[in-house]
Amino acid sequence: MACLVGDAALLLPNKKRDIMHISEGVLSGPVLISGIVLAATGTAIGLKKLNYDRIPRAAILSAAFFVASLIHVPIGPSSVHLILNGIVGLILGWGAFPVILVALTLQAVFFQFGGITTLGVNTVIMAFPAVLCYYLFGRLVGKGPRIALPAAFLCGSLSVFLAGILVGLALTFTEENFLKAAYLVVMAHIPVMIIEGIITAFCVLFLKKVQPEMLPGKIP
Amino acid sequence: MTGKIDLNTMVAKVLCPDIVFEGIMTILTRFDTGKCRQFLSLMACLFTLCLLWPGTAMAHRVNVFAWVEGDTVHTESKFSGGRLVNGGEVRVYDLKGNELLSGKTNAQGEFSFKIPQKTAMKIVLQAGMGHRGEWTIPLSEIDPQQSASEPSASQEEQKKTSETETVKPSVDLDQLRHALEQSLDKRLSPVLKRLAEAQDKGPTFRDILGGIGYILGLLGLAAYMHFRRRSRDLEAEKKGR
Repeated sequence: MACLVGDAALLLPNKKRDIMHISEGVLSGPVLISGIVLAATGTAIGLKKLNYDRIPRAAILSAAFFVASLIHVPIGPSSVHLILNGIVGLILGWGAFPVILVALTLQAVFFQFGGITTLGVNTVIMAFPAVLCYYLFGRLVGKGPRIALPAAFLCGSLSVFLAGILVGLALTFTEENFLKAAYLVVMAHIPVMIIEGIITAFCVLFLKKVQPEMLPGKIP
Repeated sequence: MTGKIDLNTMVAKVLCPDIVFEGIMTILTRFDTGKCRQFLSLMACLFTLCLLWPGTAMAHRVNVFAWVEGDTVHTESKFSGGRLVNGGEVRVYDLKGNELLSGKTNAQGEFSFKIPQKTAMKIVLQAGMGHRGEWTIPLSEIDPQQSASEPSASQEEQKKTSETETVKPSVDLDQLRHALEQSLDKRLSPVLKRLAEAQDKGPTFRDILGGIGYILGLLGLAAYMHFRRRSRDLEAEKKGR
């Protein structure tokens, strides 16, 4: 019986895998290395573009991104969390790379989400769609509310969708069938896409009223 | 335990984010001279709202825990943070990887089954979307007799030799051992459960605050670098004059 208790103490919770934060030991070496290279490039560009006036903004968005992963949307037996990469990208553009890298590092250290070796890949997965959405919707968001609101909604949801596609892509090079993996990830995140779309639209609407210069589009 | 929100978690979930964001806002307004204050207060409201979201649990990892009671194995599955896994798929394998049986957890996250055969078992929980937990039951837990009989083999032989003198003590001993095992199983299962729960607490509030603190630290560092550079520029300008 004593050994029984000992066993229970030794059997720590085993491998967990979260869908957006890819854990250690899932991906192959080349994928990890290319992730690190891409993330480093993105971060360098982001830091260059992040001038001092935008740093407080970047910090608050980084904090928001860091906490957002704890907000869960319950669906079925599983649960997925908010990502907020759309709004981060929309406000910061390339600055999304350093911001997301910092938040992901802290999530890996404090929450054991993802891992240190997969930081590069995870940063690319979440920050690349953010930058892409900045270029796609940045100008539209600066226009009248008829265009800006749907654009903001799309920005929020598309950035999650693209992140899901990238997860699928990262997994393809290792083990799983791309279509299947991407399908699963995207399906799981449909509620998150809708919620993030609404949150992004809400933020944009608010910023347009109070702080329009924070949004891209006005200043090209 | 779950479902109900007691006062402590209410305070932690509702008040503390407000305090944190209020603090951040105050610090940031110093930098941004009140510019994005309204935006920040919006963010604060948003977070409070999100944390109040019904059913929000800090669930991220999933754990399965199993214990033996007599000839039945009970399993309990939870997301970290305490939300129970409803309808998660439980598969039971032996250590060679052959599937012995499978089933689904009920609303309490529980799933019980009779021991199909006396081997060590690996219980795998699939809570969907890549959430996966494992628990291994060693052979000693399933069949205590077997593992116990090996070291005491010589004792048994001794007993056999003395059996002629005493009136069947081995049968009594076996019964005693069996009864003992059963009652110990029963007594220890809540302890084991507690132990498993203690092993995995989701992200705590301390972790969240720590993370935000680091971000603020980085912000401070950036501000320091900026002002140092600027003051250096100013000095250079003065010298130039």
